[in-house]
This record gives sequence, C-alpha cells and structure tokens, in this order.
Amino acid sequence: MKRLQVQVCACNKCIMMGAMEIMDSIESLKKLKVQLRLQTQIDVAMDKKICGCLSDDASPVVVINEEVIERATPEIVMEKIVKLTQRK
Amino acid sequence: MRGVYTPVTKLRRQVFTEIAKLAYEEKDLSYIEQLPYKIIPGEVAKYRDSIFKERAIVGERLRLAMGLPLRPVGEHQPVANGVEDCAKPEIFYQPPLVNVIPFACNACPTNTVEVTNNCRGCLAHPCTNVCPMKAVSIVNGRSVIDQEKCVKCGRCVEVCPYSAIVKYDRPCAAACGVDAIGSDELGRAKIDYDKCVSCGQCLASCPFAAIADKSEIFQLITAIKHGHKVIAEVAPAFVGQFGPLATPEKVFEGLRQLGFADVYEVAVGADLGAVEEAHHFAHKVATGEQQFLATSCCPSWSVMAKTLFPKVADCVSDALTPMVATARIIKKEHPDAKIVFIGPCAAKKLEAQRRTVKSDVDFVITFEELMGMFVAKDIEFGDMEQAEPVEQATAAGRGYAVSGGVADAIAQAVHDLYPDIDFKVDRAEGLRECRKMMTMANAGKRNGYLLEGMACPGGCVAGAGTILPIKKAQTSVKQFKDQSKLQQAVENPLVENNK
Repeated sequence: MKRLQVQVCACNKCIMMGAMEIMDSIESLKKLKVQLRLQTQIDVAMDKKICGCLSDDASPVVVINEEVIERATPEIVMEKIVKLTQRK
Repeated sequence: MRGVYTPVTKLRRQVFTEIAKLAYEEKDLSYIEQLPYKIIPGEVAKYRDSIFKERAIVGERLRLAMGLPLRPVGEHQPVANGVEDCAKPEIFYQPPLVNVIPFACNACPTNTVEVTNNCRGCLAHPCTNVCPMKAVSIVNGRSVIDQEKCVKCGRCVEVCPYSAIVKYDRPCAAACGVDAIGSDELGRAKIDYDKCVSCGQCLASCPFAAIADKSEIFQLITAIKHGHKVIAEVAPAFVGQFGPLATPEKVFEGLRQLGFADVYEVAVGADLGAVEEAHHFAHKVATGEQQFLATSCCPSWSVMAKTLFPKVADCVSDALTPMVATARIIKKEHPDAKIVFIGPCAAKKLEAQRRTVKSDVDFVITFEELMGMFVAKDIEFGDMEQAEPVEQATAAGRGYAVSGGVADAIAQAVHDLYPDIDFKVDRAEGLRECRKMMTMANAGKRNGYLLEGMACPGGCVAGAGTILPIKKAQTSVKQFKDQSKLQQAVENPLVENNK
C-alpha cells in the first residue's frame, strides 16, 4: 500500500490558529475509507515546529509529501489528501 | 460547533493575542484604535456584510478583552474610551461578565418548527395527523405550519418520512440551561442577568460571534510587568490544551517563562475539598441530618442550585472550591503574592469577585486567553528541554476536570475514610440536566445521595475558555491521571497539614 506523509506544525501560533482541528480533520478521513475509496496509508504527525522559516502570517502550516501549505484549513487539507490518495 | 475551528474561534483568539501584545509591549493605549484594522485588514469584508461592521464588532471585543464595558451604539465614542483607567495591576472589570454585542447579533428566530423544501406533499402526510393543535395543514400540495397555533411539541418533526420538518432554537438560548436569554425590542438576544450564572456556554455556541465575556489578561500582564510576585494556579482541565508538545511539565515551565513566580495544580485544592466533603457527607448526610450533599466546585451549578431551589440550598456543600482552597494554600506560603487562576471557565471570573473570595484570588483567565499570552511572548514548547516533573496532586483531584470525576473522588474518599457507609450517587452535566436532578432532590427523591453537578456538558474540559476538542481533552486528562504517583485524595500529604 502507498503511503502519504502529512506533517502538521505543532508550534503555539499554529495551534492557536487551528492546527489541532486540522489534525482532527485528517484523522477523521481514516473513518471514511470506503466512501473515499482510499488506497493509501495516511501517516500524520504533529510533533514539531515546521513553520519556522515562513512568514509571520503563514499559520497554520501543513506539509503533505513535502508540499508546504500555508494558512491551511481543514477544507484545503482534506481536499488535497483525498486527491492524492484516491484510486484512479 | 464545539471542536470545529471556525472564523469565530479565530477572531476571539486574535483579540486575546493582540491585547496581550499591547500589554507586553507597553505601547501607547490609543494604539487600540488601530487593532481592528490589524485584525480585519484590507477593504473587502470577509466575515459579514460590511468591513466597517466587522471592525466595529472587533472594537467591542477588544474593549471587553480589556475589561471595559460595551459602548452605547447610539453615541460617538472611540474604541479607546476609558482605556487609561484599565491599565492597573488589579482586577478591573465590572459585571456583567457575559455580554451580547447587539449589532453583531443576527436576531435569530426563537424556538421554531418549520417545514423545509424537502416536503413532498405526500399522500400520507402524517404531520397533520399527529398535531394536537391542528396547526399543520396541506396547502398547495405542501405541509404548512400555522406559527400562531404551533406549540413546538415536535411531533410532526418525528413523524415526517422525509425529515422535511425541522425544529430549532437560537444556538445561544439552546445552550443556556437556565433560560436566561430573551430578546430586545429588535429581536436580538438579551441576557437576563438575574437568571444568568455566567457558565459561558452561549458565547461558545453563538455562530455569529456576538457574545463575549470580559477578560483580565491586560491587568494580569500589567501586574507581572510592574514587578508584582504573581503565582499561577492551573485547573486540572489544562492537560493537552496547548497542543501535543505542551506536556503538563512544559506548560508549567512556560508559565514560569511568562514571569509567574511559581505554578500550582488546582487539583491539590480538589484533593482537600474531596476529603472535606467526604467528612461532611459522613457526619451530616449519612446520619440523616441533611437530605443530600451537592458538590460545590462548579460555581455556575452551585449558584443555580442555591437560587432556584432555596429550600434545599443548605444541602449544597460549603466546602471551599478547589480554586479557593489552592489559593489559600499558596497565600499561606506566599502572603505577598498575587494569585491568578488559569482555567477553562468563565464563571470562575465571577466567583473570584465574590466578597469572600476576592482576597484569595486576584485574577482569573482562561486557557484560550493564556494561549494568547504564550503567542504574544513567542513561547514555544518545542524549544524547551524536558522540564521538572509536576507531582503535587493525586489522580482523584486531577479527575475533577471531567464530568463524573468529582463524585468519583468524593465517593472514594468516603469509602477510604468511612468504609461502612453505603450510599448512592447521582450526577448531571449541563445546567438543564442539573435542574432536572435538583427538582428530584427538592422533591425529596434524592435523600442520602451525593449529587454532582457540572454546568458544562462534558465537565470542565468543555468550558467556554478551552482550546482542545472535548473528547481529546478528556483523554488527555485521563492520561495525566494515570501518571499520578498518588491515587486517592486522602493520600495527599497536604490533607493532613491543612486540618
């Protein structure tokens, strides 16, 4: 099975701007395996600060397979992940 | 809506962060006039119909966060009006604590049953059949409810095969367990302060960000900046609130970095209270002298129970709340210190203003407000070395944060101290449920019981000032409980010392 690496920034500012809710939304996708026809294992981590080098208003920051998403929202992140994981 | 990050959450937190920054950077206070433009930049409205309205509402929120009252809508007043008075190192705000910003309120309809587009005008139309008021009829092939006749029983909602009929209330009123939300002359929400117990559930539920409570962060930061010795006491619900990197140890370390002289667990006061209430229960309730014992730690619940049920008011425990008990322990060791309670709760802000508590607790802030302080000061939990362990309280005291935890702790303490006493426990969460429980108790149907009441559904972890989704917070609290070296409240060495 393919794997998808997702990192959610765990710094204070990102958490204040909703990083924990983004984390929740990513984890919630695992419950929709059938509906979304997921064929990929989603490895999601939220264990360090990753927004360090970015601008002040970048929070919250999510990295999906090395692609950096600034000002991430559950909507944007879930859409990206579903696109990358769906069976063609 | 709880547990979902919405623009409402974002706005609220931005306001706290900006006010914390304003206090830390000691900018001229007239800078507050510019903050609405910083929080709502540009020329295009993002959240509401007009950017001017958005900024005006942010202006009101900034004022409340400073501890100032709302401005009268019909009079010219700058945002900074009266701001020079609040730059004090002591509590400043005046009740009311919870405020509706009238022009932010959407004047949502109150309690309504309505037919939606889903109605197919079916042959059976059971909606008309079940209505006790003859309020539902079929007009032009569609179900119609006569609002004059409708008594909002909801029978038609249940019976519709297409889920075409909905029943809804204003989110604020639905969240209010004491029915304190009415309407003003323009149909906007208005709080009846004789009924309100400041639980804060309405402000956490309003989807238009029209309700906010006053804050004390500005005065707290001012006190730290003026060199006062300020000691923090942290409510047991704090675990996990500040993200996965913020272990309890690191939160304590972060508070020290913010300038707090020391940090205590409020769970210590919970241990003391549990033991005191256990003794009281054995001496008064088990002997039949008193009908029942209701817990006292949740201020919204205990105020509600005492005001609505005066006949049994003396059955509500008069043991010190964990906040006050802990504050007294701290004041004994540090008589010169100012004490700030950091918790999930709006009602604690009001409790701290009580005549008997005022001298014990100097400030109360919420986790969300504290988060604003951490962000304003750029404190990162990821940058910290592993901090010293937190080992002040027992698992029982730490369990107070989750509904059921208080009764568990007291019941266990009774069991440890008086193994022969057998008794029953009842508990309720959410003020509406609490009222039902008290109605039973008032009627004499809970004699010999221990009653636990929690105003927020889920317990303290569901308080209005929390950051973490409720389920996750409950798990975090449990993990921290499991790490405790001591298990039962009676094992806490402070229980002996404070006899």
